[in-house]
Amino acid sequence: MKHAILKALIIGMLGLAQTVAAESFTEEDINRSFYPYNDWTPTADGYSPGVVIDQNNADQFQAILDEALFRFVKDGWVTIRTAPTTDFPLSEDYVAATRQHAGGVTLAENGTLNNFVAGRAFPQEPRADDPLAGQKLVWDYQYGFNSGDSETIYPFWWTFRNVKTAKVERQLKFEWHFINHNHRVTFDPRPAYENNPGEIYRGIYGIVKEPFDLANTQILIHRYQDDTKRDNAWLYVGFQRRVRRLAAGQITDAFLGSDLMIEDFEGYNGRVTDYTWEYAGTRNLLLPFYYHNDMDLADVPKNDPDGYKFIDVEGQGNCFPKVTYQLRKSFTLVGRPKDPNHPIGKRVINLDSQTMTMASLVTYDRKGDMWKWFPIGKAHSDHHLPVNLGKGVALDDFALVIDVQANHCTTLQFKSQVTDDVNQPKLFSVQNLRKAGR
Amino acid sequence: MNLKRTVLFTTTRFILACLVATLAFVPLTSAQDTEFRGFIENATFTRAHGVGITKSRTTLQLELSKAWSSSGLFSEVSFNGTFRGSYDAVYDLNDDEFGKNSGRSVCFPAPGNPAFFGILATGNPTTPPFPPSTNPCYAGVFPPPTATGAIPLPGVPGGHIGVGNPNTGLGLVGEDVHNFENGGVVLAYPTRPCDIDNRGCIDGYMDDDEDELRFSEFNSRLDFIREFYLDATMAFDGGNELGFRIGRQQVVWGRTDLFRVLDVINPVDFSRHNIFDELEDIRIPMGIFNMEYRAGATAGFEDLNFQAIWKFEDFRPNNLGQGGEPYAIIGAGNFFRAMNNCWDNGCTVWNFPDTGLAVDFPSHALGIRQANKPGADDYGFRIEGVMNGVGFSFNVLRYTSQMPSLRGGIASDNPFTPPPEAQFHPYALAFDIDFPRLTMVGASADFYVESMKSAFRVEVAHTSGEEFPNTLEGRLFSESDVVRWVIGIDRPTFIPFLNKSRAYLLSLQVFGQHLLDHQLQRTNAQGVPTLSDVGMVDWKNNYIATFLFQGNYLNDRLTPQILTAYDFGANSGVVSPSVDWKISDNWRFIAALNLKFGDGARVFDDNRGANPFPPFTCAPPLAAAGSPLCGAPFSSLGLSGFEPIGRFRAGPFGMGINEDEFQLTLRYRF
Repeated sequence: MKHAILKALIIGMLGLAQTVAAESFTEEDINRSFYPYNDWTPTADGYSPGVVIDQNNADQFQAILDEALFRFVKDGWVTIRTAPTTDFPLSEDYVAATRQHAGGVTLAENGTLNNFVAGRAFPQEPRADDPLAGQKLVWDYQYGFNSGDSETIYPFWWTFRNVKTAKVERQLKFEWHFINHNHRVTFDPRPAYENNPGEIYRGIYGIVKEPFDLANTQILIHRYQDDTKRDNAWLYVGFQRRVRRLAAGQITDAFLGSDLMIEDFEGYNGRVTDYTWEYAGTRNLLLPFYYHNDMDLADVPKNDPDGYKFIDVEGQGNCFPKVTYQLRKSFTLVGRPKDPNHPIGKRVINLDSQTMTMASLVTYDRKGDMWKWFPIGKAHSDHHLPVNLGKGVALDDFALVIDVQANHCTTLQFKSQVTDDVNQPKLFSVQNLRKAGR
Repeated sequence: MNLKRTVLFTTTRFILACLVATLAFVPLTSAQDTEFRGFIENATFTRAHGVGITKSRTTLQLELSKAWSSSGLFSEVSFNGTFRGSYDAVYDLNDDEFGKNSGRSVCFPAPGNPAFFGILATGNPTTPPFPPSTNPCYAGVFPPPTATGAIPLPGVPGGHIGVGNPNTGLGLVGEDVHNFENGGVVLAYPTRPCDIDNRGCIDGYMDDDEDELRFSEFNSRLDFIREFYLDATMAFDGGNELGFRIGRQQVVWGRTDLFRVLDVINPVDFSRHNIFDELEDIRIPMGIFNMEYRAGATAGFEDLNFQAIWKFEDFRPNNLGQGGEPYAIIGAGNFFRAMNNCWDNGCTVWNFPDTGLAVDFPSHALGIRQANKPGADDYGFRIEGVMNGVGFSFNVLRYTSQMPSLRGGIASDNPFTPPPEAQFHPYALAFDIDFPRLTMVGASADFYVESMKSAFRVEVAHTSGEEFPNTLEGRLFSESDVVRWVIGIDRPTFIPFLNKSRAYLLSLQVFGQHLLDHQLQRTNAQGVPTLSDVGMVDWKNNYIATFLFQGNYLNDRLTPQILTAYDFGANSGVVSPSVDWKISDNWRFIAALNLKFGDGARVFDDNRGANPFPPFTCAPPLAAAGSPLCGAPFSSLGLSGFEPIGRFRAGPFGMGINEDEFQLTLRYRF
C-alpha cells in the first residue's frame, strides 16, 4: 500500500514537472482583467471620443485601427464614428468562478489545461516575456463567456455582397444555438451536465430557414473536453434527407458559400492545439462595442415579435456595420495553424481585454497576403433585448467578413438571446438533426 | 389478388389514418408557426441518336408546415405536407417516340425459315410446301398466298395471331441498345400509352394511360399528396422523448448516396430519370407509422435512439417505367410489356427456336400472365446512435420486395399441341410477376479518420428471400440470400490552382453485392454440357464505384461537378458533368450531360435451349441422336443472346449505353 501511494506521488510529481505550475493571482489581477475601465480610460494621441475618422485623418489614427480597418478607412470604404469607452462587465457568476478556480489551473506540456473548472483560466495580465502568454490568452478566449453558458441567435441573417457593386447575391437566414455542457456558471446545472458520456464541452447547432435550396440544412458541432480530440461535425442535407458526417477539412472551407469557414465561428472555432499561439502585445484599438438600442438600426427583420431590428449596414458594398466604435484595451494574439495544408497562414486576433472576445481578426493567406477581415460587433447586454438584461455577456450583434482578395463580403446580422429555454443537450444531438429535418 | 383492385381501399385507408392522427393530436395544441414554400421547375432533356426530347417536365411543388405550441401530453406537434404536380410535355412534343403515335410496324429477317418450314412440314429442308417469308412481320399472315408472317406453332388457333394484336405501334425489345447482332431472341413490345394501346399493359402494375404519364402525380394513389404527416413529441423528465410521425412520408435509413443498401423502406420511381435523380425526389412516400424513442446521451452513448416503423399503406413496387416510356430502367418495362402481350395475345418471336428463324406463339403459352399483389405490411426496427464519436445503426426490416420477381411455373399452354390446355411445364417461359417477402438485417456507421482527413460511411445488409432468374430451375427462378455493402469516403481537398479559397469535394463510393446462393455452371440441371453458362444471370459478386468531383465558385453560386459511376460486372459506366448556377435566391439553372460508356448490352442464356415441351423443343442434335433426354423436360443447354435477360448483367449503365443526354433545368423557388 505504501509503495502504491509512493508510486502515485512520484508519478504525480513527474506529471506536475511536465506542466506549467499554477500561478497565483490577486484581486488586483481580477479587477484589471474584468473591470479595466473602473479607474482607467484608454487614450491615444489626438483621439477623443466622438471623433470621426475617415480617409482624410486615417493616418493620424493608424495606431488605434487594426491593420485591415486602417486600410479600409484609408481607401474611403468606411468612416468610423467613435463613442466613449464604456464598461462591458461580464456576469458576476463568471468572475466569481474565476476567483474560485483560476488558482489551480495549469498548462500541460501539450498545451491543454489541467484542473480547469470554470471562469477565466488566466486572469493575470499577459507578459511579453512569457513564452506561453499566447497559449494562456487563447484559453481565456476558448473558455470565455462569449455566448454565456447558452445562447440562441434567431433570426440570424448572412448576406453575401459584392464589395464593388453592393449587389446582394444571396441571403441565408439561420437559427443558431450554443450550449456549454461544462464550465457553466449562470444556468443550471452548474458547473456541468452530469450525463455527458461523450465528454462534450460545447455544442453548436444551426439550421437554415432560407433560401429554399438550403432550407432545412442543419449543422451540429461537438467540441470535446479533451482539446486534443478532433471536433465532430455533422450536416443534415435537406435535399438528401440524410445526416452526413463532415470531414474536418470542411471546417476550413467556406461554409455554405459564405466568406466564413466553420473554423471562423465566434472568431476561432477549433481546437486550441491545432494552432501555435503567440502574444504580440497590448494595444488600445477602436473596436465595434456599442449599445444596440442606441444605434441607428435597420428596418429589418419585419414583424419581429419583440420589435427587434438588426444593426444596419453602410460603407463600401454595404459591408460595414452602422455602429460606433470604442477605444478599448486589446491583446493581440497571433495564431498559426500547425497543418501545413491549412489555407490560412496566420490569424491576427485582437482580443478585447475585458470580455476576452475576439473583437477583430485579420487573416492572412499562406503567402502572407492579407485575406480577410472579421470584426465582431459587440452589444452591451443591458442595452439590448429585455431577455438579455443583466446577463453579463458582450453579445454578438453584427459581424462581417471581407475577402479583400475577392472583393466580396458576408455580413452577419444577429438577434442574440442569452437563454437556456430550448438549449438543452437533446437539441445538440445527431438525432435532433433527423427530427428537425423533413 | 390484382394490384389495382386495392387502390381505392388503400387510398381510403391512407386518408383515414391521416385524419385519425390529426384528430388525435391537434386538439391538444394551439397554432404557432406556419411555413410555406415551393418551386416551379422545367426540366428538359434531349437524347442523342435521333431520339430527341425525352423529358420536358414542368413541376409545381408546394411545401407546407405548421407547428403548434406544446400542450397536454405533447411537447411539440406539427403538420408537414408536400404537394407536387407535374406535366411532362414529352408525350405531346415527341409523341412519335414516346406517345400516342410512337412505335411502328416491325419485321425482322428470318433467312432460315424456308428450310425450317421444310423440315417441319416434310422432314426435308429443301422441300417446303411453300416458301415462307424470310423477313416476316409481326403478327403477319402465314398461309399463302401472302405469307407475310412467321411460322405458326401448331397451337396457334387459325394459324395466325393477328386478331387483336396488329403490327402497329411496336418496337423491338432492346433495339435501343443493340442490333441483335449476336443472333439472340427478338421480341416486339407495344409502345403507346395504355389508353391508346392496352396490349401488354399489366393490370395495376404497368398500365398508365397517356394522362397518367403526362401528369404522373394525378392518379388513383393520390401521388400529388407527396407527403402528409403529423409529428408529435412526448417529452419526459431527463430529456428523453417519444416521437411519432404518422402519415405519408419518406423514412430514410442509411448513409450513402445513390445506393440503396439500407434505404429500402420507400419504393423508388425510376421512371423519372432512372437512378440519376436525387432520391428525395424519386422515393415514393408511403403511409407509415414511425415511432422513435430518443434516449439521448445515456449508458455510455453520446446519443441513443430506438425506432419502430409500420408501413400501413398498401404495397407499391418500384416504378421501373412501363414499355414505351422514355426512362424504363434496364428496359425491364419494354420486356415485361412484350411478354404480357405474348401471354394475352400470342406473339411473333424472331431468332427462335434458333437464330434466323421466326415463329408465332399462341396466347397463354409464353409470357407474363399478371402481377400479383402481396398482402402483408412492412415493419422494421432500428437502433441508432453515436458512441465514441462513431455514428452507428442496426436495422431490421421485414418487407415486401419492391423489385419484381418473374416466377415461372404457372399453368400454361403447350404451343406445339393444338388443343389449348393449362398445366405446369417445367422450364416454360410463362411467368407471373410476384413480389417476395424479404427480411433485411443491416448496420451502418460513419466516422472520421484524421490521418486521411476523410469521413467514412459504411453500410452493410443481409437480405433473405430475394429471388433471381435461374435457368437451372424448373420455375426459372430461385432464392438467394444477398449481402450488399457500400463504403463511402468524403474528402474535401484544396486544389489551389483550381480554387484557392474553396475546397473540392472528392467523394468515392464502392458498392458490393454478393449472392450467397448463386448458381452458375456449364452443365444443365440434368448434367448435359451447355454451350454457355447457365443458371443465375445476376453476378455472384459485383461491384459498382462512384466518384464525385465537385467544386464551388462565386460563393457557391456556381457549382461545377463531375459524377461518374462504373459497373465492373457490366463493364459499363456513366459520366455526368454538370454546372449548377444559382442565379439568385430564387432562380437556379442546371446544365448537364449524361454520357454512357462501356460494353453496353451483355449476353446470357436465353432459355431457347431448354426442353419445356418434350419432345417438340428437344435440341436438334439430341433429337437426331435419339437421346432419351428428349422425352422429358430439361433445362437450358445454353443458347444465349442479349435478350431477354442479358439486361440484368448489363445493368442500368449498359442498358442505357445509347441514352446520352443533354439536360437543362430551370427552377424558380418561392
